[in-house]
Amino acid sequence: MSDVPAATVVQDGKLGGDVPKGEGGAGGGGPRRTPYKRRLSNYMLDRSLQLRYVLLVTILSGVIAGSLGFLIYQQSATASDSIEADLTALTGSDSSLDDFKNQEVEQLHAGDRMLVYEMVAVGIGLVIILSAYLVIMTHKVAGPLYKVSMYFDRMAEGRLGNITALRKGDMLQDFFGNFREMHEAVRTRLQADVITMESAAAALRAKAGASNELADALDAMDKHVTQRKKQLL
Amino acid sequence: MAGPGYKRSWKNLLLNKRYQLRFTLFMVGIAAVLMTCLGWWVMRVAEDATNVAMARVRGEACPKIPELTETAPSGDSNAVPMKLDDGSDSGGSGSGSSEQPPDQPPPQQPPPQPHVVVDPAVALTAVANLWCITPASCKPAATEPLVIRTGRATNCDAYVKKKLGDPASVEALRKAMITVVRCEGGQTVSIADAPEPEHHVTVQIDESSMTLTPTVPNDYGDSIVKHWTCEMRQAGAIDSLERGRRLILWVLLATGIVLSVGLAVYGIKMTHRVAGPLFKVSLYLAKMRDGRFDKVYNLRKGDQLVDFYTHFKTAHAGVVTLERADIDQVKAVIAAAEAAGCGDHEAVAELKKTLARKEKSLE
Repeated sequence: MSDVPAATVVQDGKLGGDVPKGEGGAGGGGPRRTPYKRRLSNYMLDRSLQLRYVLLVTILSGVIAGSLGFLIYQQSATASDSIEADLTALTGSDSSLDDFKNQEVEQLHAGDRMLVYEMVAVGIGLVIILSAYLVIMTHKVAGPLYKVSMYFDRMAEGRLGNITALRKGDMLQDFFGNFREMHEAVRTRLQADVITMESAAAALRAKAGASNELADALDAMDKHVTQRKKQLL
Repeated sequence: MAGPGYKRSWKNLLLNKRYQLRFTLFMVGIAAVLMTCLGWWVMRVAEDATNVAMARVRGEACPKIPELTETAPSGDSNAVPMKLDDGSDSGGSGSGSSEQPPDQPPPQQPPPQPHVVVDPAVALTAVANLWCITPASCKPAATEPLVIRTGRATNCDAYVKKKLGDPASVEALRKAMITVVRCEGGQTVSIADAPEPEHHVTVQIDESSMTLTPTVPNDYGDSIVKHWTCEMRQAGAIDSLERGRRLILWVLLATGIVLSVGLAVYGIKMTHRVAGPLFKVSLYLAKMRDGRFDKVYNLRKGDQLVDFYTHFKTAHAGVVTLERADIDQVKAVIAAAEAAGCGDHEAVAELKKTLARKEKSLE
């Protein structure tokens, strides 16, 4: 039974994030994988979950900024129109002041246009920065979920190997702790069952000399145990 | 939790406080910061616009009220007559005091002479009535010292001193032009030493009247109406502008508060759709850890992490498949061992215990 590895969990390992595809792992003797690194393309792990929140906050911020920006522009344009009307009233009868009036009016309108450009630029910057930050923020939730999903897939295939800890800064640490406890408990129990079945097969094989049926059953159990050992690596 | 009849409850909304509050507070915080910063900007621009609009309103000239020309006769005759009483002649006419030159020096010692000539006999009688009565006796004479005689029982000096303290007695001496009072066989006192009565100036304003004969234009009433209509319209416009500015402030404040509260509620509900499935999976994980592989129910309608939950269900099914494979193998060995007559073997008993545990875990 020495070939059944103990159910160890890699603590504070940086090999997490991906689930071992083969037998490689901290406790195994297989080829070591290169340490996982965060990549830009890996930040959108759960588009539904992440995009939903990112879009919500971004659109909300855009609506607030757009509405208040429109109010700012409207108030500024109202003031400009008022000044323009006063200028027109003051210089209406004096054609020599037309240039002065046009220059002032143009300055006012240019100021209003500049205000719009500034607000649009600030709005776009806000949306970009906010979206990037939100993708990173939601990635700290989507990452652990992705990792656990990969472990779930392995469990679905009947493979219960070692698991690695979450990365520093990831959220859902409590949930991952629950998953790790379950994984370890199931693995330990299956290992104990393997030991029980192997011991029973060894003990009964001596008595199975005259019974072909028992011998066949023990052969099948041996195969089963061998396969299970591989699954628990 | 896993029951099909489960309904969302407000009490259960915060299942994963760390995750839910973090995302909700971030959303609320972003909205609050944006509302505050942009709101302050809006108010600044709105104040500028309001001031410009107010200046424009104030700049509109209202029609003026034509001034009336007063043709009342000028001169001092219409001046309100005043009588200034210096206290020495309460019954004197006002014009008497006003006719004195303003640069006349103030009266020096002895006290100023009365302005009105009093009958000497009357004055001497008054002196006799005030001074020459029991316990004293005297014979007053104009411009001569008044000699006072008293009995032994009365101190003459004290009597004179007491009388000098009486303004009416002193005034009577002054009117009778008696400047010195002498006790027989005692002191001689000048009435200049008598304490001055308090000197109040009494201003009396007589009835006055003023006659105006203005020239009233024909449209005077209309001008007044137009002027004040314009003034009131301007005041109303300025007030309306100020109200508009305040309205923007209140709308911004109300929007900010409603938005923050609404976002907080929505954020918690939204994150609950993630925290709910995680909570549910955590419950199943606890059961699996304890060796129980119950039926896994579906998520509620509207929950997120559907894909993640599907992964969990397949994992759960995979572990159940492992357990079933073990059960099948153990059952086959137990049956073969019993057929071979080894049913009582210790190893078979161990396998039976394992089989019972595994079968129970799948119930």
